[in-house]
Amino acid sequence: MSEPESTGVDRDGAPTLGEDPEAYAPSVAGRLAFYQRAGGIVTPLTTTIVAFLMGGIVVLSTHHNPLRTYKAIFEGAGLNWFFHVGSHHITVPFTQTHVWFWWDTNTSHTAAYNLTQTLLTTTPLILTGLAVAFAFRCGLFNIGGQGQYLVGAIVGVYIGSRFTTMPHLPHLLFGLVAAALGGALWAAIAGALKASVGAHEVITTIMLNWIAYWGGSYLVGRGGPLRNHVDQSIPVSDDVVNGAKLPAIWGNPHLQALHAGIFIALGALIAFYVILNRTTLGYEVRAVGFNPEAARYGGISVARNFVLAMTISGLFAGLAGALDIFGWQFRLGVADVQVSNIGFIGIAVALLGRTSAVGVGLAALLFGALFTGTSTRSLDPTVFPPELAGNLALMIQALILLFVGADLVILYIWQARRKLRLTGRAPATKGSA
Amino acid sequence: MLSVVLAALALTMFAGASFGMVGAPTVRKAAQVTYKMAVITDVGGLNDHGFNQAANAGRLQVEKKLGFQTRVYDTRTSAERLPNLQAAAQAGYQLVFGTGFFMGDPLDKVAPKFPDVKFAGIDVNYNTDLPSKPANVRGIQFKEQEAGYLVGYMAGLVLKQQPGPDIASAIGANTVPAIVRYFGGYRAGVKKADPKATVILSYANDPTFSDQAKCKEVALNQISQKTQIIFAVAGGCGLGALDQAKAQGLWGIGVDSDQLYLGPEMLTSALKDVAKAVYLTSQEFKKSPANFKTGFNKVFNVKNGGIGYGKVSAKLKNRAAIIKKVNAIKKLIAAGKIVPPAK
Repeated sequence: MSEPESTGVDRDGAPTLGEDPEAYAPSVAGRLAFYQRAGGIVTPLTTTIVAFLMGGIVVLSTHHNPLRTYKAIFEGAGLNWFFHVGSHHITVPFTQTHVWFWWDTNTSHTAAYNLTQTLLTTTPLILTGLAVAFAFRCGLFNIGGQGQYLVGAIVGVYIGSRFTTMPHLPHLLFGLVAAALGGALWAAIAGALKASVGAHEVITTIMLNWIAYWGGSYLVGRGGPLRNHVDQSIPVSDDVVNGAKLPAIWGNPHLQALHAGIFIALGALIAFYVILNRTTLGYEVRAVGFNPEAARYGGISVARNFVLAMTISGLFAGLAGALDIFGWQFRLGVADVQVSNIGFIGIAVALLGRTSAVGVGLAALLFGALFTGTSTRSLDPTVFPPELAGNLALMIQALILLFVGADLVILYIWQARRKLRLTGRAPATKGSA
Repeated sequence: MLSVVLAALALTMFAGASFGMVGAPTVRKAAQVTYKMAVITDVGGLNDHGFNQAANAGRLQVEKKLGFQTRVYDTRTSAERLPNLQAAAQAGYQLVFGTGFFMGDPLDKVAPKFPDVKFAGIDVNYNTDLPSKPANVRGIQFKEQEAGYLVGYMAGLVLKQQPGPDIASAIGANTVPAIVRYFGGYRAGVKKADPKATVILSYANDPTFSDQAKCKEVALNQISQKTQIIFAVAGGCGLGALDQAKAQGLWGIGVDSDQLYLGPEMLTSALKDVAKAVYLTSQEFKKSPANFKTGFNKVFNVKNGGIGYGKVSAKLKNRAAIIKKVNAIKKLIAAGKIVPPAK
């Protein structure tokens, strides 16, 4: 989970950028580097466990059994599917070939279907998580994932439901690319404002979120230019044409199957890692993230990197919106625009995943499973009341965020433990004065 | 220290597990035949003071009075509509209600896969919202304009008899079809009783139907334009507006369910009885599941009791005379002599 290369500090702990960034540069990224050396996987794991334990106490206080509830959530997320092994067959995606497989992939079974829904939710979460993570690496806190996601979805639904004469594959690719660029442009506004006049990105991205929210509501609402042509009384856009939909890879395409977008999301994880750790661009972005002044002194254009980092962030989030539109949603209603919070959950995903590629992937899966698992269809009313079930996921999410925010406490304990261990040995250990 | 806390937490949880926190499985009365019915809500939550809550209230009545075994599936995000619907059909519920017009597409996709299950879509228009015309779905529609007309007419009568400017207003949460229909009927009703009256119609743009501050703000705006009666067509959001009307000594009109309980400043309420629609539909199903008709729109209106107006404030002057006049209009609507406009 930890990416030593990405911290800008040698694996041996040789003092490159300062042994204790806390003391010199308490910048966001500086703190991050400190975390990554200090805790590895410990902090996110501890925060998650503590959040689940606290959630369990709340469940208990409503006179329900937390273990049964968590078991129901686990099964509701479809994770029990992995335990049922046998002799089955699957069709290789995009072909007619059948091969032997040890799991039963028939989605008419609840476990398999639930798992497809978990992965369906995970897909955009990976991308909105990356959107937050990438900007974070440049020392920017991108709260605007939601707005960028919405812009992606709006552009996607516009292109998907128009241009009907285009051939299928180019139509789909055109939609995905344009939506990603739409999200990128949306984020670039905040980046450019930061670079040119120093407007804080937290403020501007939040404002851009609202513009996307109301702009989207207007566009697909009654009387809006993107409203549907079938029943004008319903505030929803036209459907994406059949040919432009992402192919289903698991399940019945009519029943919200898992679509090929998950491969794009996984590809984005790799792209994120490569850009950040294996390119000059990534090096500059990280350098600015650690210390903009030092980067400037080293000849790196800070302004340019602010804009670039935001643009790439927006690219991820815009793609998330497009994948949802072309993958399973196929249309955008006012309620969809206004209820969606995928972009905001992305913040939690990035923070819990500690802005590393692997971490974001795992955190997205955790939140995807949590949201699917706590749906009322999975939680039998005798296990947990449906009125509260929806809030349980939000509560656990909030607790995780709270603890991620308070991870200095956990780190402190971790450091104290390490210090104890170190002082037990020879005091000559390099750099732990 | 942390580990101590963790251990304590873990202990508490395991204690809960072993000491009978496990809810005893609900014992169902062994009736001859138990029918199973499920309600799938749309985004907004079970405590939305509106649509979802009303449908759930109907479900509870069905459970209590008709002896159905029921369950509610609360939809939280757009991605959950279809899976919830499918889960209910798969779990063996014979009658499945989907609430809200966004359920149209999921119903269109899921219903054909479960030909033995009967579906009903509240606020879903069978003719326009279900392209594949599944044979086992029934659309349930309401003539909200009739309820809007009735309370509008009463508001007009009140405007005429009391001093002050003849201005009435309405606040909608959002431009959803049902609210547009309420507005259409309301404006026509006010004008019918008081042709000189001005009617102000505004939207609070609250998709959650629960943000009281937004409706309150719109109410203040309307009050500055000298409105005398505020019709809040906005679920929980509308409570903020009604509160403001009450504070200024103006009349308020409730929506969907009878909201006279809010106080004597409530003139009356426009009733769109979703709970009753759920109940009546389930009752029809119970009579003969085999003959339960689907493949059309069931319209609830003044005539069949799904639409009406609520109790009238005791504070109202000439209360009996006004009620008499409104009832006369109600009869005309039921007879089809008056057709309130839908927008």
